[in-house]
Amino acid sequence: MKSSEVRLDRLSKEYGRMVAVDEVSLAIEPGHMVALLGPSGCGKTTCLRMIAGLIRPTSGDVFVNDKRMTDVPVHRRNVGMLFQNYALFPHLTVEENIAFGLEMRGISKADAARKVSEALNLVQLSKFGKRYPAQLSGGQQQRVALGRALVIEPAMLLLDEPLGALDKGLRESMQVELRALQRRLGLTTVMVTHDQDEALTMADKIVVMRDGKLEQVGSATEIYQRPTSKFVAQFIGASNLFEGPIEQRNGNGAVIRVSPELSLQVDQLPPTTSDVMVSIRPEAIVVERAGQTPAAQRANSVTARVDQAVYRGFVSHYYLKTPSGGQIIVFEQNQSQQAGLRYAVGEEVVARWEAPSNHIIARH
Amino acid sequence: MDERFSGFGAFILYTITAGMMLFILAPLLLVMAASVSDSYFVTFPPQGFTLKWYAKVLQDRDFLEAMRLSILLALGTTAGSLLLGVPAAFALVRGRFFGLAAIKGFLLSPLIFPALVTGLALLQVLTKLGSQDARLNLLIGHVVVTSPYVIRTVVTSLQLVDENLEDAARTLGANRLRTFWRVTLPQIASGVAAGGLFAFMVSFDNYPVTMWLANSEYSPVPLILMRQLVNVFDPSVPAMSTIIILMAMVGVLLLEKLVGLRRALAA
Repeated sequence: MKSSEVRLDRLSKEYGRMVAVDEVSLAIEPGHMVALLGPSGCGKTTCLRMIAGLIRPTSGDVFVNDKRMTDVPVHRRNVGMLFQNYALFPHLTVEENIAFGLEMRGISKADAARKVSEALNLVQLSKFGKRYPAQLSGGQQQRVALGRALVIEPAMLLLDEPLGALDKGLRESMQVELRALQRRLGLTTVMVTHDQDEALTMADKIVVMRDGKLEQVGSATEIYQRPTSKFVAQFIGASNLFEGPIEQRNGNGAVIRVSPELSLQVDQLPPTTSDVMVSIRPEAIVVERAGQTPAAQRANSVTARVDQAVYRGFVSHYYLKTPSGGQIIVFEQNQSQQAGLRYAVGEEVVARWEAPSNHIIARH
Repeated sequence: MDERFSGFGAFILYTITAGMMLFILAPLLLVMAASVSDSYFVTFPPQGFTLKWYAKVLQDRDFLEAMRLSILLALGTTAGSLLLGVPAAFALVRGRFFGLAAIKGFLLSPLIFPALVTGLALLQVLTKLGSQDARLNLLIGHVVVTSPYVIRTVVTSLQLVDENLEDAARTLGANRLRTFWRVTLPQIASGVAAGGLFAFMVSFDNYPVTMWLANSEYSPVPLILMRQLVNVFDPSVPAMSTIIILMAMVGVLLLEKLVGLRRALAA
């Protein structure tokens, strides 16, 4: 299968006065998997459906291999699409479902039969060809849908929350499987999801959307480690966000004063002279018993009380309260022989972290 | 229903159900009984047993001619109301345009307007338009009163069809027409069949509209029946009625076998 380059150029969709998608421009490299990630109503599904041709953009264009596709009707675009509810034709058998796209292309019966059996092999459902969709489990149904989408050798694969209806274990194994298959086929893929784990697991590139606009585009590490906005910092994973004025500048960094008991040493040059917002991931923070570290006021360190503690198997979550009322979330990985939580509610602790963990958020 | 009713609730339920069945079916059974009565007038209880009234009816040129007309008219009406009603239902369910609710109300309005008034209004309009052919006028009139039934059943079954099925078909290379034939229509087949059956039956026994639009040359069954009833109320009238009842029953059973009518009507 050849890989296609997909490009969106200032793509917009308005419904009356409501702007669902607002001038989205995006280039997707051949063979890449891109995840459109965002809360419901952020325009990600509308975006995907415009790429498919199911929704006509108000303005802007979709290009595939530099060919303008905006006016090409959906049935001539040659896209493979997976839907959250599988959208299998209930009156057709598994084989007939998979053969549907071939039939629409006028492919001979013999060729179609061969391709259908190849597709069934590919999705490991060779024994289920004669069954009807209602006789299959959710996971099997989505495999049929995948086979049906792949058998037409699509120019790209579009996934609309494809695994959202499966339960957690199956979803995770399907994520890995789908990703492996997509890599092997080198098929350019756009996926819509509101599940950040799914996006982090599957995508080469994550596109975070909010209110119809692109919020941030980048690899999983870029998005997670260097969020450019408060929204991204909070939407992807958990974040401790602190805000305060610059107390002093030193070398290539600065000291930010958050509260009387907490100051932050950042290694980046703050962009403005006004208040600076800093995010710290909960797993970057180390908790120690009070008294073990010198009481001297240091940057990136604060004395706090354990407000809530949650044991979650491989990790414990601690919610700390600083004397001035600020909250700090800490994720601490548990050791295999550890007997439950290391700190009790009410206990006084010191939370500290390294300066590189302080990340300045450009947009509040 | 998975849970069986039991106790006093079940007793009440079964009693009411039996009462309703009796209320609906008893008159039909009376008519059927009267049709085999060996007497010159309709009497109850029937006297003796004879099939001579059926023999008489089946040799009655007027009745046979009316049957032929009514069946052709009902078939034409069914086709006409399906051709208008299915696309209309499609637009009502899938469309997103200004005035949708108003149009839906308008299309379903013949269900609530008195048919007598609709018939008279149609007669006036068709006369003004210079339409002289009673058969054409009847067809138009019947389509007007039956298409709401088609629209209603098809709207109901279309609402249950997952729109993603159509989107999936289109991404797989089917244009809108092929999507409709290959994907949507099989999903709404029972609704279409139920609507068609309604259209056929409503057309077949429609009196109030037919009365205005028919003429002496083209008189469908309900008019012939009425005329016979007024002239000589002999058991040939129940015999005709029985033939119609049996036809309706066969139609319903056939559709139930073919497309699962029960499912469509329950929706």
